[in-house]
Amino acid sequence: MSMLSALAHVQATESMQAVPLTAFRHRRLSSRPLVIIPLVMAGEAGAPLAAMVGSARRKGTLLVVAQPRNRDQRFAFAASLGRTVIDYIDSFRQGRRGGGGHSRYPDTPQILVPNHGGIKALADLGRMCRFRSTSGPHAVPDVVPEFGMWLTFLVDRAEQAGTSMLLPVTGILAEHWATGQSTLEDQNLASLMAWIAPPAGLSVEQAMADAENPDVCPPAGPATSPEFDNRDLAPAIKRFDTARTLGDLRALAAAESDLRELIAGQIQPTWRMTWEAIALLRSVPEAPRTIKRFERDCAAFTSYSDYRDSGGLPQRKRDTAIGAAQRLGWLERALAEFESDMAFDDPFVLADRRSAGEAFAGTVVEAEPSRTVTTASNRRVPRPRVTIRTQDPVRLAADTKLLSPSMPSGHKAVIVSVLPDGDATLVTVEVTGGMGRARVPARGSVPVPDQRIAYLPDPGWRPAPQFPGSDRTPWTHSATAGETGADPAAPEDAAAEEWGNED
Amino acid sequence: MKAPVDDRLDALRGSAKRLDYSARSLAALENNPRCTLRALLDASGSDKAAIAAHAGHPSPFGQSAFALARGNVFETMVKDNGCAELLRLLRETLQLTLPEVGYEDLNDIGGDGRAEVRHDRTKQVLLQAARGNGGGTLFDHPMLCLPVGGHKAFLEPDLVAFRIGGRFHVVEIKSFPIIDGQADPTQVRAATTQACAYIIALRNLLARVGIDKQAVSDTIVLVAPKDFTNRPTAAFVDARKQVAALSRQLARIERIGDLVDLLPEGLTFDLGLDKDKRARRPAEELAEALDQVPATYRPDCLNHCEMAFYCRSRARADSSLDVLGPAVREQFGGIDTTTMVLGLAQGRLTPTQDQVEMAAALRHAARLRAELNVLGGAE
Ligand code: SF4
Repeated sequence: MSMLSALAHVQATESMQAVPLTAFRHRRLSSRPLVIIPLVMAGEAGAPLAAMVGSARRKGTLLVVAQPRNRDQRFAFAASLGRTVIDYIDSFRQGRRGGGGHSRYPDTPQILVPNHGGIKALADLGRMCRFRSTSGPHAVPDVVPEFGMWLTFLVDRAEQAGTSMLLPVTGILAEHWATGQSTLEDQNLASLMAWIAPPAGLSVEQAMADAENPDVCPPAGPATSPEFDNRDLAPAIKRFDTARTLGDLRALAAAESDLRELIAGQIQPTWRMTWEAIALLRSVPEAPRTIKRFERDCAAFTSYSDYRDSGGLPQRKRDTAIGAAQRLGWLERALAEFESDMAFDDPFVLADRRSAGEAFAGTVVEAEPSRTVTTASNRRVPRPRVTIRTQDPVRLAADTKLLSPSMPSGHKAVIVSVLPDGDATLVTVEVTGGMGRARVPARGSVPVPDQRIAYLPDPGWRPAPQFPGSDRTPWTHSATAGETGADPAAPEDAAAEEWGNED
Repeated sequence: MKAPVDDRLDALRGSAKRLDYSARSLAALENNPRCTLRALLDASGSDKAAIAAHAGHPSPFGQSAFALARGNVFETMVKDNGCAELLRLLRETLQLTLPEVGYEDLNDIGGDGRAEVRHDRTKQVLLQAARGNGGGTLFDHPMLCLPVGGHKAFLEPDLVAFRIGGRFHVVEIKSFPIIDGQADPTQVRAATTQACAYIIALRNLLARVGIDKQAVSDTIVLVAPKDFTNRPTAAFVDARKQVAALSRQLARIERIGDLVDLLPEGLTFDLGLDKDKRARRPAEELAEALDQVPATYRPDCLNHCEMAFYCRSRARADSSLDVLGPAVREQFGGIDTTTMVLGLAQGRLTPTQDQVEMAAALRHAARLRAELNVLGGAE
């Protein structure tokens, strides 16, 4: 966090209302997102209890596992949720554009869950489903492993900064608004919404108190509140079990509809609030560079679709050492690019970086527009220098490559020197790109005296990490042959893996 | 410990029954070791949940019956048939060569479940084992006893195994899963800290007869469900650091007298229970008493301490930066309140000598934000 964002939180505390942290929404919102509110059973590992799913506020479907410990019921649940999600995903697999190896679907699915816990619940579900076999003694419906693999793909992709195929709503909200509470409390959707848009007639204080009262605002999951578990859910599940043991069909139907009603009461408030949050987020303008990241999502979606069509194997349980290192490299790169994109697009984020000394803005006080140098290949090229006076606490060193949101695109510069000047700082930069091909820089491509200008580091300069090919990995870092063979492709074993009780 | 300190602690608690430390409350010491309020409440054996509730801020903790049931079922399954599953794990998963294994149930002694009786028996069999002539190798629910701040705290590990490499090992049985070889780090940490209390108690017991602490390993054996199944898997967890940390916290409790000395005369957290155990003391009066003791609230308290809602509301009322959490707080080193931050940022307050630099940074940040608001921003 920078001092500027920290200050925003302090301002929110003092004014008792959320204040914006950004000018834009840096995440794409699909016109047709699929909202999933997953609930799981407390204490049990990856035991789904229910989910509400749908792509419009009025079209939510509630799916309930009456006895979450039962294996068959879990798979029946996974299959129905899976069908909904796969249908939704399939609806984006059309209208492919472009030719040859580069053709792409023009849009991607977008799944929204209330919070990070929701992503974890989907990750667990994906892990439970993707290795299942659709034939043999433990056969599950075809859709189950397919669903598991897609979920795993979406969860993996969601770890990459700036992507928008699977997102927690609390995360998008907290990226745009600062509240007067901690990160921990910001993970509670109702608490976060209390600061941003308290329910009509309630003060922020009242809404915050309600948000932590499970009887007013049931938790957004994935776990239900212990009070609800003990008071309502446990007895209802017991009634269901008893009716099932007795084979009493009427009692069974009654118990099942009771359970549905109870769970609906817990899940619907979150459903409504999630859609309210989405509506609120739509009112924030989308940042220009979001489209660039969306195109990458389209490419990733297309390539995974093709992989699925070719009958690709499920993702392995654990990455190999190289895979993990490579992945870490991508994630870091994506994060750096996302941060730079945001700063480029958004004066709020730029100011944030400025307050931390990672970017600067000021006035040009000196310029050498006609400076040239001779390159190694004996060509004279323009290399104008300009000096900027800034009040910002610049912490960038000489040789840092820069981009500027205040200059035409393609403008590139590098820091020559950073010198203190009274209570200000003088930064001299050399313009290295974006000046056109001529001997003389194109008009407007070099900053002029008295111009206000901002610079931030160019994340593109980082070399892509190099990894040895898998045949050249030292043996200490490779999965043993046995593991590689057994890991992604051990259907006999994995298909039979327990998940719940076989009663 | 000097008697007067004890008297004062008793007075702090008042009429309520003393709550002893448990492994859980000892483990919680690690979460906010600097908090005086918590140290005093715990050392005096006060009921934090009852106090918080009476002060108008009931604690945020409940436990789901499902979680409890699952925990019990899992533990029973691991221990069935003389710990058959556990032995399989120790041998297969952890690849230990165990000699002939015995099993000793210390849950109750001939039908007597009293802590003292169980503790005596535990002492007897563990000492025998340590001296090399005990039959049992796995001790189920031994009853350990650790003096904490001059009071006995009875602690009951799930299991103590002897002769894994010739040393005692604490075995923690937990019902959170280890999925594809990985478990939730927060949960592992909590389980480990809890096990540390057992390690320390066990070492304490042996030390009394002159057996070196090396006889108790500071590596614990964590047994938890494998992936999404009900079958267990096991892993070694190194608890060395946490044993040291918890030992430090325990030493601090021994010095609780220093904290007590700073309290105003006559301070008490007594709830004024009547004969039906209803709290009769006016809530404001209780809150006033609590307010006289410094607390170091931080959002993480919401995960650990029964007093959290109370302390949060107090921190809010004080405009404390603690409410916003460490990420915000560390940006304003040396400043405690939101009022002070804004005062310095807007130039309304004159910074002290050590605040000069911070104040300049704040004014710069405030200027940046003001420019943004002029820009129109998002709203
Ligand atoms: S909640 Fe209060 S009493 Fe408990 S540790 Fe935090 S500050 Fe101390």
